[in-house]
Amino acid sequence: MQNPMLSLLQSGQSQNNIMMQAVGAMMRGESPQAFMQNLAKSNPQLQGLDLNNLNQTAEQLYAQNGQDINAVKSKINQFIGGLK
Amino acid sequence: MTENSSFFGSDWLGAFLIIAVLFGGFGGFGFGGGANAAIDVGAAINNQTVQQALGAIQLSSANNNYETSRLIDNQTMYLMNQNNTNLVNAIQGFNTTAQTITSGFNSVNQNIANLGYKMEECCCGIKTMLLENRLQDTQIALQNEQNKAINAEQSAYLLSVMGKWVANAPATTAAGA
Repeated sequence: MQNPMLSLLQSGQSQNNIMMQAVGAMMRGESPQAFMQNLAKSNPQLQGLDLNNLNQTAEQLYAQNGQDINAVKSKINQFIGGLK
Repeated sequence: MTENSSFFGSDWLGAFLIIAVLFGGFGGFGFGGGANAAIDVGAAINNQTVQQALGAIQLSSANNNYETSRLIDNQTMYLMNQNNTNLVNAIQGFNTTAQTITSGFNSVNQNIANLGYKMEECCCGIKTMLLENRLQDTQIALQNEQNKAINAEQSAYLLSVMGKWVANAPATTAAGA
């Protein structure tokens, strides 16, 4: 039986949260670059970033803010695992 | 997304990391894993319920807007028709008044024409009467002159018969001879 949350994400019914939108787009096989560039149209904080190299950009952001990127990756791993 | 390894090898991980650091995406959804799955599903369902309610409100609002627009249109058309009816009635009233005035003028014109005819007729009658009076006076004058002539003849005859001489007898005799 499919995860009920996965069903909701794939149906595109949870579009009001950016993280959920990203998961939905990923489920539908969309390009992460295209998703981020479209997101940047209505979110100024994304404008000016290199959205073609997302991993590199993320590394730079976390380094600038002094945050632990590995801890975040661990949480993402748990979340993605919960969706399967 | 079929395997974690492919996910972590793709740019989606970078996308999630960027969203997490810029939009604070860890707080609300799913990053606790495992035990939070039920909470995540509940939040998603609640979100769906809210969206459905919002959709119903939007539909209701759209229906209300449609009904309001329809009522405004109807009222506008009613007022326009009413104004048009009033305008048509006013124009018809003006036409009726104009026709009445025209008819009145026609009557006045006819009366003026009749008056002119009567004046002419009256004038003609007066002229006729004057001519008749003059004829009558002339006839009377003629009659008087005729009477005078007759009287003169008769007087002359009587005087010649009586053999009397008057101051102008020779002339009378000569005239009589």
